[in-house]
Amino acid sequence: MNDDIDFYTVDPRKNWDEGAEIQHMLTQCELDMEDGIDVFVVGRQGHRLVACAGLEGNIVKCAATVPDLRGESLSLKLMGEVIHLALEQGHLHLFLFTHPKNVAFFGGCGFYELAEVPGYVTLMENTPVGIKSYSEQLRTLAQPGKKIGCIVMNANPFTFGHQYLVRLAAAQCDWLHVFAVREDVSMFSYRDRFALVQAGVAGIPRLTLHHGSEYMVSRATFPSYFFKEKGMVGDCCSAIDLILFRKYIAPALGITHRFVGTEPFCQTTRKYNDDMKHWLQVADSESASISVVEVPRTVSSNIAISASEVRRLLHSGDLAKMPSLVPRDTLNFLSGYHYAT
Amino acid sequence: MKIVKEALAGTLESSDLLVKVMPLPADRVEVVIKSEVMHQFGEQIRKVVSQTLQQLGLLSGQIVIEDKGALDCAIRARVQAAILRGASVEQLDWSKLS
Repeated sequence: MNDDIDFYTVDPRKNWDEGAEIQHMLTQCELDMEDGIDVFVVGRQGHRLVACAGLEGNIVKCAATVPDLRGESLSLKLMGEVIHLALEQGHLHLFLFTHPKNVAFFGGCGFYELAEVPGYVTLMENTPVGIKSYSEQLRTLAQPGKKIGCIVMNANPFTFGHQYLVRLAAAQCDWLHVFAVREDVSMFSYRDRFALVQAGVAGIPRLTLHHGSEYMVSRATFPSYFFKEKGMVGDCCSAIDLILFRKYIAPALGITHRFVGTEPFCQTTRKYNDDMKHWLQVADSESASISVVEVPRTVSSNIAISASEVRRLLHSGDLAKMPSLVPRDTLNFLSGYHYAT
Repeated sequence: MKIVKEALAGTLESSDLLVKVMPLPADRVEVVIKSEVMHQFGEQIRKVVSQTLQQLGLLSGQIVIEDKGALDCAIRARVQAAILRGASVEQLDWSKLS
């Protein structure tokens, strides 16, 4: 029995010694210590570290138990501790990534499969009704038509480029669904980004603007998107996001086409576009394939308009070119932002 | 009684159950039960859960149960605990918890 094991929490950024010990245990279990973990639950039998699991927001990472104590329900205890700790931190809804071979194990801990990149990685959530009720909610917002388009945008911030893409897509479709990425880790807050998209697409007919969700381009579905400064993106990360889109979101809204702008600057976004063609159009799937329409960027005074360019100009304090890059509402917002900081 | 915040009770260990409750936008009660012994005891578990909810007079909320083969008394206690936590009840009517 494991009654002699004590569980407690460790902040790996403050407790360097225990952090190193956790890392050592993870190596034994063929796992890497991941960045960004806010807190670990660890289990000790006497002095010996025998179990650990980390939380980054609502994502469970680095869950492991020492090999010689497996098969004695230690891991169920560990996962129970993590679920309670996460709620203390305000997260009832949890996600985790694991190798597909571990899906049955985490199933025993109340996690359910969302999407799998065969042979590589599976994303799971700890509720049997999460994606199901989200899809049902989306289904009530579906619109009739043969060609139903979708754009998912971070709009950090909303530019003439976004506006051009939305207008072009809306003109080609019977209905267009636009989603604003909800994750709040970009330069501009979700509230501001959403408000600027709303202002920027106002008046365009046959269009619904949706709030984003944890099921699209979020830390859970696409962790590396938000670390793109690093310039390295795991192949599997964008795949999970796209498989979820094809399996749940697109069928719920009847989406047949997904529109994206070509990406001249940002490598992560460019790779995402390439992956999109593969996972939405080409890859084998039970779900209908979705056509990816890549639209060349609009050009203003010989520079392709992009949000990253706008952020660069804002950083360097060069506001002179702004009026040719962003719509009026974004411009007003940015001047306020510029003078406030 | 309504669920007004997310709450948990129980564990995932054998002979126990984990109960999660969360608010719903409308006045309805949704119950999802997953159990390792669903085939043998599914009906009985459902009965115990719905009796417990009725006794407490729950009007709104989602209840998700991961059962690991718990006895009826454990099911009742865990469901009550999760709901009372999630409904932020301060004055307990003990007679309803029998």
